[in-house]
Amino acid sequence: METIFNNLSEFWKFTGFANGDWSYLVMIAIGLIFIYLAIKKDWEPMLLIPIGFGIVMGNIPLFPGLSVGVYEEGSVLNILYYGVQKGFYPPLIFLGIGAMTDFSSLISNPKLLLIGAAAQFGIFGAYVLAMHLGFTPAEAGAIGIIGGADGPTAIFLSSKLAPDLMGAIAVSAYSYMALVPVIQPPIMKLLTTKKERLIRMKPPRPVSPTEKKLFPIIGFLLTAFIVPSGIPLLGMLFFGNLLKESGVTRRLAETARGPLVDIVTILIGLTVGCSTQADKFLQPKSIFIFVIGAFSFVVATFAGVLFVKFFNLFLKPGNKINPLIGNAGVSAVPDAARVSNNVGLSYDKTNYLLMHAMGPNVAGVIGSAVAAGILLGFLS
Amino acid sequence: MNKLKLIWILASLTALSVLSLNAQSQSDMRLNELLVTNTSDFQDDFGQHSAWFELFNVSYGTVNIGGCYLSNDRNNLTKYIIPKGDVLTQIPPRQHILFWADEQPFRGTFHVNFTLADSDTLFFVASDGRTIIDMIHVPKDLEENKSFGRSTDGFGEWEYRQYTSPSTNNSGVDQESKSSIMKRTDPHGLIMTLVAMIVVFSALIILFFLFKITGNIAIRSLQKKSDESSAETGSTKTDVAEASAETYAAIGVALHLFKEENEAHDEESFMLTLQHTDRTYSPWSSKIYTLRQTPTVKKNLR
Repeated sequence: METIFNNLSEFWKFTGFANGDWSYLVMIAIGLIFIYLAIKKDWEPMLLIPIGFGIVMGNIPLFPGLSVGVYEEGSVLNILYYGVQKGFYPPLIFLGIGAMTDFSSLISNPKLLLIGAAAQFGIFGAYVLAMHLGFTPAEAGAIGIIGGADGPTAIFLSSKLAPDLMGAIAVSAYSYMALVPVIQPPIMKLLTTKKERLIRMKPPRPVSPTEKKLFPIIGFLLTAFIVPSGIPLLGMLFFGNLLKESGVTRRLAETARGPLVDIVTILIGLTVGCSTQADKFLQPKSIFIFVIGAFSFVVATFAGVLFVKFFNLFLKPGNKINPLIGNAGVSAVPDAARVSNNVGLSYDKTNYLLMHAMGPNVAGVIGSAVAAGILLGFLS
Repeated sequence: MNKLKLIWILASLTALSVLSLNAQSQSDMRLNELLVTNTSDFQDDFGQHSAWFELFNVSYGTVNIGGCYLSNDRNNLTKYIIPKGDVLTQIPPRQHILFWADEQPFRGTFHVNFTLADSDTLFFVASDGRTIIDMIHVPKDLEENKSFGRSTDGFGEWEYRQYTSPSTNNSGVDQESKSSIMKRTDPHGLIMTLVAMIVVFSALIILFFLFKITGNIAIRSLQKKSDESSAETGSTKTDVAEASAETYAAIGVALHLFKEENEAHDEESFMLTLQHTDRTYSPWSSKIYTLRQTPTVKKNLR
């Protein structure tokens, strides 16, 4: 009888109940909130469900040494997490993004590229703030990239510059990306006049297939020569786009934008969620990261909208840009462009800005990848 | 025939590139430091003070030096072969490996069969046994327990060194990380912000001009085609630059509808065209479509 009790008490030590404390419960609650928001509110379900469930999985209190935790070498989760640690999941996602993105709106109106550049002020505004809050330059760079509103880029850069903060940075980036429809409209309305919101933009010109094929080649060569450290992201983005536009690799493009990107999204979401173990995640630094992340989104939106207003000073009346598409420079494809469209429609039911906003939106992806390359070059 | 030639050329190029890649990675190794007379310096695993020399991997990839040669004789470049299959001959990126010149190769992979005191020149030779990857003249006036090495690992000039540094950096001091340099030089992050934004804007401005140019070329080419077509049909000229993609979409939809309408015809041509295809598989040639369903026995229980 005593042996049975001894065994049961020994078994109790292995259970999550014996090894946990309140911090794990807090994290599990956060994971469940993510799942709730994804299912009930339809906020970025493709990301929040894997991340949310990953947070729940990663925060089951473990008896150390069982080789099941994400940080325990050789465990299944640790092996899946390898793609995040070594930074090869994000470029694969970029391959898929490239294969599903139509750059025509950008090619037909290349000046929209500059809006994508202006929105990168969010990254460096956050960098400056993080430096003031006592983070090291490498950590500040990793946190700043949240302002790029690009989850894969944030994971890629933080895995290189500040691996310890990656969980908080990734969760913060994806959370704010899901909150784009909440964060951006008030700023857009605050910075624009009614007259500006009603500006009708010239419809985009037709883009020839040759131009579409040249775009990824020229785009890659130029950006990669300027920022070689951005090659993993930029190379895969433009390569994916070439697969799409070449017209002769349909099957490869379909795989890249379909099954491949789905598989990697599942793995990246789940393992990033798992990496938010309470003992590593619940610390004052994480709160700072969330505050700086919100700040970076606000700065990026401000910069994008104000830049369009400034740019309009130099444009002829027929060529003016509606400043409501300025917010789309923060990437977060295609949510930010959808926000531009919805806000525009709320003032003029026939003024569809979606196609115009997709220009700065995809330029933002290029811009944030370039910015990530710069940060990597300077700080790694 | 042409295709076959092309395949041969590509295969040869691939084979050549594989061979050159192998040589290329071995060529990333450099002789880095040497010590001729060792009385109180570094000891080997047998507790012996012997002459030593160091190789350094200058690349950011692992290099396998197994199969390469070390020699002190130009006429016999294959004097000592570094054994293949030893895991320790895989030199990690930017790392050193130390060899003992004690003339006792039976003591292990890293003990060569010559001494430096008897050497004028030290050679590191590729696995082909001919290509000299690196060589250094062994100074005869080197003091006891003093080494001769590069000022910076892999690339610096050779110099008489004040301190020996076997299996470690010749520069002696660990480099300051980029992050700490940045913290020192730009504590508020403003310079970084300015520089980075200039780079981001420059990159996208150049991209803007490039696509402006390619766009103009595309418009001009389309305009030319459109003008030629207008001249042929006698219709009015269209300004392609002003035409929007929406117009083209509307024309496309109209043509589609028109075609659909015309396809709903009442009279058939009664012509059947058989076209040869190169597809080897077809349901017509598939066995599964020609087989009858396996008969099943149904027993009448009545």
